[in-house]
Amino acid sequence: MIANRGEIALRINRACQELGVRTVAVFSEPDRESLHVRQADEAFCVGPGPVPRSYLNIPNIISTALITGCDAVHPGYGFLAENARFAEICADHGLVFIGPRPSVIAAMGDKATAKRVMHEAGVATIPGTDILATVAEAENAAEKLGYPVLLKATAGGGGKGMRVVERSEDVERAFASATAESEASFKDGRLYLERLISNPRHIEVQVLADEFGAVVHLGERDCSAQKPSHQKLVEESPAPNLSARARSALHDMAVRASERVGYTNAGTLEFLTTGDDAYFMEMNTRIQVEHPVTEMVYGIDLVKEQIRIAAGEALGYVQRDLVARGHAIECRINAEDPRNNFAPQAGTVTNVVFPGGPGIRVDTHLYPGASIPPYYDSLLAKAVAYGDTREAAIARMERALRETVIEGVQTTIGLCLEVLASREFRAGRYDIGFLPSMLGSAV
Amino acid sequence: MPSQGSLPADRIRRLAEFLSTSDVFRVRIERPGEEIEVGRRPPLLYAPAGSADDVRTEPVALRVDAIKADLVGIFHLSRPAPLEGELLEEDRELAFIEALGIRTPVRSLGAGRIVAIASQDGAPVEYGQSLFLLDRG
Repeated sequence: MIANRGEIALRINRACQELGVRTVAVFSEPDRESLHVRQADEAFCVGPGPVPRSYLNIPNIISTALITGCDAVHPGYGFLAENARFAEICADHGLVFIGPRPSVIAAMGDKATAKRVMHEAGVATIPGTDILATVAEAENAAEKLGYPVLLKATAGGGGKGMRVVERSEDVERAFASATAESEASFKDGRLYLERLISNPRHIEVQVLADEFGAVVHLGERDCSAQKPSHQKLVEESPAPNLSARARSALHDMAVRASERVGYTNAGTLEFLTTGDDAYFMEMNTRIQVEHPVTEMVYGIDLVKEQIRIAAGEALGYVQRDLVARGHAIECRINAEDPRNNFAPQAGTVTNVVFPGGPGIRVDTHLYPGASIPPYYDSLLAKAVAYGDTREAAIARMERALRETVIEGVQTTIGLCLEVLASREFRAGRYDIGFLPSMLGSAV
Repeated sequence: MPSQGSLPADRIRRLAEFLSTSDVFRVRIERPGEEIEVGRRPPLLYAPAGSADDVRTEPVALRVDAIKADLVGIFHLSRPAPLEGELLEEDRELAFIEALGIRTPVRSLGAGRIVAIASQDGAPVEYGQSLFLLDRG
């Protein structure tokens, strides 16, 4: 059972087909004509367009899995992928959840708990507090840490429930608004504080772990080219201009932390780095959108590995067997208007031409005439370019994006080309302030 | 369209007015804490075939409603099993959908004649699948 939609549902379907595994897709009413519905062996409508009534409709998704005789559920990313309760319900009904154990999902999903666990595992974490009970506690902690500080929701994600606080007189207001936002978004208003690391890089490490305790890393991805909302736009592997010492330290921390939490399946540890210093930010207990760049440089199909591990197979290789070769870059082609605060675009795609040629991979659910419903994530396609060197990968990506035609909706293709052409990106010297600053100067 | 602050009854009245002057058959509005659905009867779908000596010039109108599954599960006809052509004089349980060990009744939602049983007894059904077609005329 593929409990997702869009490009990742197709990606999972492809892995299953290559493994000889039959698939069942679920879909919402507006997704009836989607490619993932057509390409799966069976497909069931589980609800109307709005996400809570379809792709988050646990009873209908589980019921579909049971009546179609599924053995396992792949949640993809987003939706139910990091829902520990869903993973538990799968297990209760005899379905294998393709991901880590529910207790690990729950521990890593609670940011304050994850940070404490990582700290205990000897992983560097950003100096900060545990859960704050009162505003006064927050004010005292902020004084000790030194301004500016970052107030964060423990259940947070996507920048929600997060506030930068520059001065002591702003703590009370930020505390109230972050609590309310987190309560509204996650039904959990608890907050904690961290020292603000100014304009760090966002570098993450891919891990794979089997059920016999073996853990390996598959290098890092630099995801610093982020929109002002902290959503990633361009990712690459390996990270440019990272010292061998810092790179190795990141990989070691990721493996050590995964071992410590008893991790299984594919996961990603996100770090904020500044210079050679790296601090654990969070662990994503699922496949990532940007996983193809890792696949390109390591030559490993991560989704197939997820399925093999969930089926109880051992990794079958050790760290020294894994060698990164060349360089890969991914550009996210979203249905968004970058000049209008990335406003999502819904509508019908009237014409589509995707790039090809050596070293290019496109993961997409788009086809001419496809409709883009207003209910879902705006990701239309991921263009991935591979080259022997970073320069070759950039040149290929630029060529590929120029070949791409998507008519009917506005996209981020132009913005991705601007990123690739920028002096900072070319030099491999950019941090998370780079794209917001570029957008600020362009508007 | 109604303003956000209007009373539900007022909104429903205005939606009904909108439906009566458009080609739209059903409108559903969902907001946090509120769901409103207003529909009008669909147009004539079925009309009896007229014979050469049929003196009537106007076909008899059948106003057909589809009763659809609102969950995924196994469809079972209730016992005694409803029959195609059967006249239901009032609201009645026609079937149930079994999902995760729970039986959810499927009711006729009023009187009518069963034009068709659109799903097979004992078969899986998906969300939105037609289960019965009922003539409300």
